[in-house]
Amino acid sequence: MQTWNFLEYAAWGLSALFGLHMLADWLKTDSSYSEDVLTSSREGELEAMTEESHKG
Amino acid sequence: MADFDITSGERDGMGPHGTKVGLLRVLGPAHVWALGVGIVLVGEYMGWNFAVGKGGAYAALIACWFAGILYTCVAMIDSEVTSTVAAAGGQYTQAKHIVGPLMAFNVGLYLVFAYTMLEAANAITAGYLFSVVATMSGFEGELDQRPFIILVIMFLAWLNYRGVLATLTFNLVITAIAFSAILVLFLSTSGVLGGGIMQHAALFEGHELPYGWVGVLAAMHFGLWYYLGIEGTTQAAEEVRSPARSLPFGTLAGIMTLLIAATLTWYVCSGVLPWEFLGDGVNGSVAPLFDTARLSGSNGLVWFLGFGTLFATLASANGCINDASRAWFAMGRDKYLPAWFGAVHPKYRTPYRAIVFLVPIALIFALGAPLDQVITFSILSGLLEYTFMPLNIILFRKKWPMGSIKRGYEHPFHPLPAIVLLSLCGITFFAVFLGYGTQLVAMIGFYIVVSLWFHFRRYRFVDRGAQFTMPWPKPQGY
Amino acid sequence: MSHYVPPKQGKLSQLFDVIVLVALTVGALFVPLWLNMAGDAKEVTTPVENPTWESLGQNAVQAGQYEALGYTPETAHDLILARFDYSFTTGALITMIVVIVAYYFLMLKFSEAEYREVISEKFGQK
Repeated sequence: MQTWNFLEYAAWGLSALFGLHMLADWLKTDSSYSEDVLTSSREGELEAMTEESHKG
Repeated sequence: MADFDITSGERDGMGPHGTKVGLLRVLGPAHVWALGVGIVLVGEYMGWNFAVGKGGAYAALIACWFAGILYTCVAMIDSEVTSTVAAAGGQYTQAKHIVGPLMAFNVGLYLVFAYTMLEAANAITAGYLFSVVATMSGFEGELDQRPFIILVIMFLAWLNYRGVLATLTFNLVITAIAFSAILVLFLSTSGVLGGGIMQHAALFEGHELPYGWVGVLAAMHFGLWYYLGIEGTTQAAEEVRSPARSLPFGTLAGIMTLLIAATLTWYVCSGVLPWEFLGDGVNGSVAPLFDTARLSGSNGLVWFLGFGTLFATLASANGCINDASRAWFAMGRDKYLPAWFGAVHPKYRTPYRAIVFLVPIALIFALGAPLDQVITFSILSGLLEYTFMPLNIILFRKKWPMGSIKRGYEHPFHPLPAIVLLSLCGITFFAVFLGYGTQLVAMIGFYIVVSLWFHFRRYRFVDRGAQFTMPWPKPQGY
Repeated sequence: MSHYVPPKQGKLSQLFDVIVLVALTVGALFVPLWLNMAGDAKEVTTPVENPTWESLGQNAVQAGQYEALGYTPETAHDLILARFDYSFTTGALITMIVVIVAYYFLMLKFSEAEYREVISEKFGQK
């Protein structure tokens, strides 16, 4: 039964593929957007908006 | 209110305080259910049976129900607080607003550890399943489990990286299949449909409580495993369309599902497998539902439960990556951790740096530590978190009494659930002490060291007033 | 109370913090393992010579299930007879209680001090 030996290699290969894809996309994203945009998320935006619209 | 709709494609996740890219609000209550139940359901497929080993089959049932009460309290308390404090980070954000920064930092770490360890345990189990399937299909020799363990973690991290909707929809499908596998197994072996194979009385004879009542206490340790992770639903708070409604609904529906699944699982497994075998999750029954299916003599059930086990481990690992990365991200956003982690992917709208960073951590634990240790660390972090919850709700009701702010859900009988929860946590601490006292002390030692590190070094980078983001009035007594 | 302005943290310093945290985490898991203090081993205290299902305390139904699972009295011997040892000393129990209570006490105390600072900055001093 060689099938499972092939599957082992396939699993290694796929893992590397998923890993590399994430890594490549991560580097691409980091270099094409500014840090300010990427880390601009703030907590509690929904609450802040409902509050503002109550006032408005 | 009519000025803008937060769920519209144009505005979602982007608010007036300068958020240019935020998490995407796309999830409904079914996704919340899938996240909560998906993480936990693997506990019925493996791990809970250590409780049988600790005190016998009856002890495991008592532990199942008492842990069920513990988690019902957790779900009620959590639903109230989180329907009011709806932000990624869940209990971390609750602690920050209600108890204080140091507690929040600790709670954030409990979350990340409980989930990352659970993810590692799931990957280990999935690797084991692959080796069982290989042996069953006639493979001779030892299968190298490592590539499969790594593949599980890598694939699910990749899925999480690419977007939350696909991730949790995937979870919804595989969780539903895994849950129905338990129902089918119950229906076809218990005698409800056709002939039953349950032999509870004969199997329990002479082994009712092999350790006496101390065994019942000891069983509480792994009794938590039936439900561990249901509190993770709160991590989705920033990604559900209407958190105040969906989170309590999804969480409470989740705990009901699990109470049913846990009791059915105990019933079918203990009615077929002798307790010594069932209770040894390492040398005996690694996957008890699967073993029950094997003894049923039906090939269809063996395959169904085999897939159920695999799907349950995948759903759980998937939910864990989701939750751990949200907590890590939320702490980065507040600069409790380096600010670099507080980034959101501009296209996929996920906390991508947190997701990528936690991959190697999970791999270290999945490849380097034995299963029961990993499970114990996960349970311990969970237990510390549940002990925090009653303190949290008591302070919450004291600082903001009913009526002072709008709550999405108000849990009944306060402070009874808090007191019950605290007492059950005390019992569970004792149960952990009976077997894993050293780890317990090591773990708390770790939290004390990181707390000192946080208080004296890390906290200087945190903006004091701005971390309090809820539009609430000043708390009473300050 | 004056508004606290946190310093901006540089890349290297951020990296350093991450390394510290990871080292502590890995340490917390692996140190008990290396010191061999981890775990909760089951032991067979009273082994049975030439075991049969009966001498292992199994009735016919229980023995039948073991056989269906592929066990013989010899292979099931350790599995069936291994037991946990739940004995403990009062000293150890008291130590644990003190550690847990002290931990939560410190946690609440430090948090409270930090929390007052947060609230007074957010809502202004009265």
